[in-house]
Amino acid sequence: MIFETQHLTKKFGGLTATSDVSLQIEKGELVSIIGPNGAGKTTLFNLLTGHIKPDEGKVYFQGREITGLPPHAISRMGIGRSFQRLNIFPRLTTFENVQVAVFSAQGKSHQLFTSAKKMVRKETETILESVGLLGKKDTKGGLLAHGDQKRLELGIALSVHPSLLLLDEPTQGMSPQETVETTVLIQKLVKERGLTLIFVEHDMSVVFGISDNIRVLHQGKVIFSGKPEEVRRNEEVQRIYLGEENK
Amino acid sequence: MILVSLVLLIVPFVFSRSMVSLINEMLIMALAGCALNLMLGYGGMVSFGPAGLYAVGAYATAILLTRYGAPFIVAVLAAPVVAAIVGAIVGWFCVRRSAVYFALLTLAFAQIIWTIIFEWYDFTNGDNGIVSIPIPEVLYVGSNIYYFSLAIVAVCIFVLWRIVNSPFGATLQAIRENPMRTEFIAVPVRRYQLAAFVISSFFLGIAGSLFCVFAGSVFPDYAHWVKSTDMLVVCLLGGIYNFAGPIVGSGVYILISKVISKNTTYWMFFLGIIIVFLVLYMRNGMVGFAAEKIFRFRNKLGAGNGEGKS
Repeated sequence: MIFETQHLTKKFGGLTATSDVSLQIEKGELVSIIGPNGAGKTTLFNLLTGHIKPDEGKVYFQGREITGLPPHAISRMGIGRSFQRLNIFPRLTTFENVQVAVFSAQGKSHQLFTSAKKMVRKETETILESVGLLGKKDTKGGLLAHGDQKRLELGIALSVHPSLLLLDEPTQGMSPQETVETTVLIQKLVKERGLTLIFVEHDMSVVFGISDNIRVLHQGKVIFSGKPEEVRRNEEVQRIYLGEENK
Repeated sequence: MILVSLVLLIVPFVFSRSMVSLINEMLIMALAGCALNLMLGYGGMVSFGPAGLYAVGAYATAILLTRYGAPFIVAVLAAPVVAAIVGAIVGWFCVRRSAVYFALLTLAFAQIIWTIIFEWYDFTNGDNGIVSIPIPEVLYVGSNIYYFSLAIVAVCIFVLWRIVNSPFGATLQAIRENPMRTEFIAVPVRRYQLAAFVISSFFLGIAGSLFCVFAGSVFPDYAHWVKSTDMLVVCLLGGIYNFAGPIVGSGVYILISKVISKNTTYWMFFLGIIIVFLVLYMRNGMVGFAAEKIFRFRNKLGAGNGEGKS
């Protein structure tokens, strides 16, 4: 087991955003977390990556407890993450966006007097190529199209060589065409690099297209866990989530 | 670049004494501006307290020379070290908060430094300042003091330029753009912000020390928030997203403030108007504005050539 949470609970004032969530994720597994808006998906992610600290419960990664560690330490251990919003460095070029992450991965970020310009060029370009952005490497991140920005964020997350990748709505706001492309891209990258993937997504075609397993979150609780077919068949899930979508 | 250095080198042969000392002031302000801009433009950390650290540098040199009779070199070299140490302490608290709270904390600490200088008569001479500081005579021969400032400012600005173009500088800009994202590429953001704070303090300390040597006296005003706003205006005027911004800003700011104050007692009024105009119409400062115009002009030329070929 690569990743595990035990009885994770987080309250904001009177609202229980995450309630007694226990997840077990196997190495190489592709897991999606679905649930209606406000189900606590992003909160759960923030708990996993140290951006917020749980009131109760524990998080384990590769057998080591990571509860309460700061985000940069968790990231350093091999967890990559993309965010729902605010995801790139808008005033840096596409190349620099990834380069900064490569510096960090190689422990070079602190170098004060070396010239950054030509450093880690090969590694950076390899990553840009794998997410299909090499041709736009000199464009400022903020000027890229939305779909490209999402892919750039994927590139940034991959630069730190994660073994576990957490993606928060990787195809949010994309056109159907872009969504299909990104789904294929994610599957390819995950397979190539032997990653474990946990992602949150609203687009059911993406969810059913990628996931080995699905966890359904409702009001902070995991109410169902199973294979995509089982989720499709389950009546409670239908009622709570899929039904709402079809209204 | 070469042209600028040549011009700066022959300044004392061309201009009057008062003009030379005005340019000397600009040089020191340019260094202070660049030091501040490491935080402001590159780190996205708006500091309202650079003058506090500038004053620490100035007073370190002044006190070492007058009170302890330290050798001149030691007194000058100690300034950035003392400023960096104070910067590390102040910064340690400040980087715990971001945005407007960070700004407030820096302002508060600078005012604390100002108050200490102002009130601690036994050590700092309080509001009387420290005058007739024993600066080596040789610096007052000819234009030596100017060349002394020029040499140190040039070296420091070069070092700062290296820093902003290093992986550290790139990481700092990433933090400015998106601290949360940077944290999750395994960068301990606060530690980097603190490092930027300390480096900035180090160079502010040098600027303060240079001004102490240049003026031969120090006053509590050096730490006052008014001095901090001078530095901020210098950065904003020139443009915070260009390395040369504060250098140009310093020249323009000091020139207009001197020219205007010579002709009217209401110089702050006119300065205010000029600043409003510059900020509203040159959003990225003068250097940013110029860079954009040149970029467009080149694009036009490029387009023109393309048509010519086809």
